[in-house]
Formats: sequence, C-alpha cells, structure tokens
Amino acid sequence: MKNIRRTLRVTAAAAAITLLAACGAGGEGSSDGREELELWFWGATPAQRAALEENLVDAYNASQDEYTLTVTFNERVDSNIQTALAANEGPDIVYGSGPSFVSPFAQSGKLLNLDEYSEQYGWQDRLLAPIYESGTVDGSLYAVANSINTVGIFYNQAVLDDLGVGVPTTIEELETALAAAQDAGLYPSVTGNKGWQPVNENYSSMFLTAVAGPDAMHDVLTGAASWTDQPYVDAVQMSADWYENGYLGGGQYTNLNFLESMQLLSDGQSPFFFGPTLAFQFAAEFFNTENGNVDDLGFIPFPTVGAELESPLYTLATTASFSINAQSEHPDAAAEVIDHMLTEDFMSTMTAQWPGYWGVPLAGVELDPAQFDGLSAAYVTALVDILTATEEGRFGYFTGTFFPPQTQQALVDIDTVWTGQADAETFLTGIETTFAAELADGAVPPIPAP
Amino acid sequence: MTVLNSVQPDADTATVKDARRGRGHGVHYLLLAPAILLSMAIVLVPGVFTLVTSFTDWNGVAADPEFVGVENYAAILADPIFRTAVGNNIIWTLLFLTIPVVLGLGVALLLLRRPRTRGLYQVIFLLPYVMAAVTNAMVWLNMIYSPISGVIGFLNKQGWDIDSPISSLDGAIYAVAAVDIWHYWGFLLVVYLAALRQTPVEQIEAAQLEGANSWQVFRYVYLPNIRPTMQLMFVMIMIFSFLTFDYIFLMTQGGPANSTEMLSTFAYSLAFATFQFGKAAAVGIVMGVFGLVASVIYTRMSRRGMDV
Repeated sequence: MKNIRRTLRVTAAAAAITLLAACGAGGEGSSDGREELELWFWGATPAQRAALEENLVDAYNASQDEYTLTVTFNERVDSNIQTALAANEGPDIVYGSGPSFVSPFAQSGKLLNLDEYSEQYGWQDRLLAPIYESGTVDGSLYAVANSINTVGIFYNQAVLDDLGVGVPTTIEELETALAAAQDAGLYPSVTGNKGWQPVNENYSSMFLTAVAGPDAMHDVLTGAASWTDQPYVDAVQMSADWYENGYLGGGQYTNLNFLESMQLLSDGQSPFFFGPTLAFQFAAEFFNTENGNVDDLGFIPFPTVGAELESPLYTLATTASFSINAQSEHPDAAAEVIDHMLTEDFMSTMTAQWPGYWGVPLAGVELDPAQFDGLSAAYVTALVDILTATEEGRFGYFTGTFFPPQTQQALVDIDTVWTGQADAETFLTGIETTFAAELADGAVPPIPAP
Repeated sequence: MTVLNSVQPDADTATVKDARRGRGHGVHYLLLAPAILLSMAIVLVPGVFTLVTSFTDWNGVAADPEFVGVENYAAILADPIFRTAVGNNIIWTLLFLTIPVVLGLGVALLLLRRPRTRGLYQVIFLLPYVMAAVTNAMVWLNMIYSPISGVIGFLNKQGWDIDSPISSLDGAIYAVAAVDIWHYWGFLLVVYLAALRQTPVEQIEAAQLEGANSWQVFRYVYLPNIRPTMQLMFVMIMIFSFLTFDYIFLMTQGGPANSTEMLSTFAYSLAFATFQFGKAAAVGIVMGVFGLVASVIYTRMSRRGMDV
C-alpha cells in the first residue's frame, strides 16, 4: 500500500513539474530558442486559415530564426483584444476592425506609435494617402489597413441576360433591372444582417455616398454641415424606400446573411447582391469551375444619384487594421510582420487563394486581372477600379472606417427608419447629437478630403 | 460559599462550553472561508468595480476615467432602447414563468403514470437542454426560420405566404423565446418530475381511497408537496430571465430595429461596440437590482419556512 502511495506521489510530482515546465515554455521563448510573436486574428474558414498560415506564418518563420510567429483565430477577436489591452496584455500584433476601433486604444496608450516604423519601411509613400491617414490619431500612425474595401453590387450575368437587361451603370438602369426582377418573381436584390447587426452600416454608408456625395460627407464629418441637412435626409430616406419596396434585401433582409445571399445570387434567385467586396471570400463556394458559373459573377459600384455627383463613386472602407501592442516585447519583429503584409507579393499571393480580404491599399500598384484565375480575377478587376477611384478622390466614407464609434453604432440603427420606427429627420437628429458630442471630444478619426 | 461553590462548577461548565463553542465557530468560519473568499473574489470585487464604473466615463481601456455622478443612469433612462430592453425582459420573464412551467409540469404529471418509459422520455425532452446554445440557435435559424433552407422556406415554396417570425418587429421576441423555451422546458420537466416523485405514496393512496379524482389528487396532494420546488424555480426563472443573453445574441443580436434588445445585449453593445463601459456598467447594475429583488423574495420565502 505504501509503495502504491509513494508511486502516486512521485507520479503527481513529476506531472506537476512537467506541467510547470510546459507553462514556462509557452511564456517567453519556445523550446527551439526562438521568441514567441503573437497575432490574434478573426475566425476565418479552414481554407482561409491555411492560406494565412502558409503565406504569412510559415513564410515569416522561415525568413529568420529569432521569432516564431503564431496566429490565433477567434470569431470574437474584437472583444478579446479589448479585454486583453485593458489589462495591459494581449498579442504583439493587434488586429482591429477599422480605425474607429483603434482610436480609443491609441488615446489610452495601449498601442505603439508607428511613425518610426512608417519612416523605416516607407509606409506613408507606399500606401494610399486616405487609407494611411485613416490609421492616424492626432497626426501619428497607430494602425495600417490590411485591405481596401467598398460596398457595391455583385451581379449574376446569366440572370441579367434572362431578364433581358444589361449591367446597370446608372441609378435609373439599376431601378429598371430591380423592377424587372421583381416582376419575374425573383428577389430584386439580396443581402441581410442575420447574425450580425452591424451589416446595416454597409447600406447607411452606401446610400450616403451615392446620394449625399463625397463633398457633403466630408463637410458633415468635419463639422461643417449638420446631419439634419437635406442631402443626408434624402440618403436615409432613399434607403428606407428601397428597404420597404424590397429593392434592398428583397423583403428577407433580417433572414439572410452574406453567405446565403451569395447562394441565392448563384442560384439565380436574384440578379443582384448588394454587399462589400470582402464578400468575394464567400463567393468561391457558389461560383466555381465545378458549377461552371465563375464568369457569371461581376461587381460594379452602386450608381450615384443625381447628375451633379461624379460617377462612379466608391465608399472607401478598410477590411481590418494592424497595430502593435504598446506592451509588446518585440515591436521591431511585429513591425516586420506587418510590413510583410503590406507588399504587392503578399497581396497577389493571398488574393489568388483568398479573394476579397487582402486588397492591400498600395499606391501606384498595377495589377493585371489576367494574371489571376477564377474569382480572384473578378476581385482584382474590382480592386483596380477602387484603387484608381481612391487615387482620383472619387470616394465616400464607410462608417466603420471614418466615423467615431458611437456615431457608427447609431448608424447601425438605420433599420429603425427602414421599419418605420422613426422617420429620417428624427433619426438624423439623434445622429447629429451623438456626432456633435464625439466631435467635441476629439473622437472623430481624420477625414481625408476627397 | 455554598452558593459560590454551587455556582462555580456551572460557571466552569459554561466557560468550557463557550470555549468549545468558540472553537466550533472558528472551525465553521475556517470551513466557510474558501467559499466566502471565492465569492468575494469573483462576485463582490467585480460587483463593487461595476458599481464604481457606473459612475464614471470609463471607455474600457483608459487608466484615468472621470467621475460623472449619475450621468450614466440618467442617459440610459432617457434612452428609448433601454426602455425597450426593460419591456422585453419583462415579456421574457412572463413567458418563461408560464409556458415552460405549464408544459413541464403537465408532461411531468403525465410521465408519473409511465414508470417504465419515463426515463427514455426524460432523456428525449432533456436533449435540447444539454445541447450547446449555439447549436440550438443555428438549428432553428437555418432549419425552421430560414426562408431558404427552413420550414418557412418550404411552406413559401408550397404557396403559403408566411413571413419568418424572426424578421417581424412584433414577432421576433416570441420567435427567439420559442427557441429558448424549447431548450429549457425539458429541464423544468425533470425537476418537477423529481419533486412529484417525492410525494409520499401514503398520501396519494389515502386521497384515492377517499374518492379524490385526478385533479383533486394533484391540487391537494401533489401541489402542496412540490410547492417549495415550484417556488424555487419561480425565483430562479425570474433571475435568469433578467440575465438572458445567449439566444438573443445568437439569433437576432437585438434586432430587427432593436425589437429584441435585452438589458444584457444593450450592455454588451454599449461596452464592446461603442466603448461606453460606464453606461454598460449602469445597465449591469439595473440588471443586478432585478436579480436582487428576486433574491430577496427567495430569502423571505425561506424564512417563512417554505423549505426552499
């Protein structure tokens, strides 16, 4: 009996020592002598994770022998990072869902000022000016965007052909096509916010760009105009009219998510899916060589409303951003990893495997869609147009990228107007109050002039 | 002296008893210490922190929040979404105090008469309760409510023009509650069945010998016996209803147009979408007050000798 007890004690002690040793190994350095470098990332699909592991993690780890980069994927990365940073913990490289997310962290000293690295790597010259500026707080760089994004229209060419209409380039042509689809018993367009209420901000941004226009949006975001002025009321009212008549979401807005919307588009149940270019990443499942419909999918900007606005306009957005944790022990290595993601090579490689999420906002880049296959070619075609429009100043402002957090969240509630809970004027009066308070607090991110 | 002599042993006995009692109390406190320390660490400390935060403008990350008095409370009370959330929490509570209770108790009574098969039925009815909330929510969203792949979609294709209740401003709260009730009622069934089975057989047989019908046996024999269990579940349902979060967050996130917003989802949104932790903490305190009221009711019931 005594022997058994002694054996158990020795075993328990050995297990405890092994456990402690294991814990220690995960802390400062790994068993191969390398230091750990961490990145927390959004919970992507297995195929997308594999692409990032191959092109970022494996490539970086093979390029040097001092650090081991690990990426942790999690659906709730935003709230996880928020909690970790508040406790002065968290990963070395901080993933953020846009600059408006970054600003409170930067102002609280949780993120590292990246000006030095920007100068070292030439980020300011390399990135599109409005996107670079969107990552600054009080004139200093704190975040760089991984990808440019816009909200527009995915279309199914085969459905348009069946309906006997062409790809619309004006708002009138678009309305004609929507009406034709409705008359044919199809959903005029598909999209929806099932499972993710902030999807609404895509459409508040899209209508504000298309109806109010870049100059009016710049004015209101810099405090030179009031949200209750007519251009903004018209934009919100038009979105409500379209929601009500089924042009926005086909009456199923709250029952659909992007994946299902893409499925309906590929099934020919609607000619259009209104959504962000990042939705290209969901398209491969439905538009592929097996189904023989890759060439049916196209993307166009949402047409502008009114002759006085330039056309086409693009709602300028970023998909995500990267910053460096102020508590990171390896900021130089973190900057090196970020720099690796801001290259044309990385953009091309990732876009080939994961179209929609890695349109790195590089200035002066010349991409050739012909060098890409399948959906990546369609995405690159759209990307080239967005990059060109941004350089030419033909852009509006996405709420998640350029609006302060409370105003951004208030605009998510645009569905209160769509469902008749509030009228456009009352809704925008609330927006004006929220925005004025944030403007006074200095919470509005930099607004690049169009 | 006689008196003294007679008193002295009693005093000694009392001292010894006191000493023993003291040692006994010491042991009691020692045994209670882990639970008290744990409660203080994971309930009291965060509770006090939340209360203090509710009087500040803390954004969740800043190290120097400012004291703003009752500003956060005034702001949330003036916010129509907060009022919607309170109303929804009350609706939710009423739904859960009635539908799953009646369903659970009714089926438990039926299963009393199925001694051989009730084990199987309990497992079947308890299955949704042991499944992850996210699984249940996805099943209902995609297989019932979806206009593409769900029962609603199937009915639409058959020519029935039915809108999904989850997209209705008036119906969404009930659509989500239906899922949570479906998940929860099996648990109540098991609890009530266990309580019913504790009823002394002699009482039931005596009532039946006296000629009592089924309703009378339930009303005058079973019900008094399971009343403490019912009261406990009543209080627990009240507490859970004001804390509910998972199914709302998974299925609607408070939408459409805030029509299913709960205090918990409102607090989450304030904290993690708009960096207003002060206001979120104020909402949390309000939720805590509702829970406290339920706890007081429970304590009073206990003191009245309800054996709960």
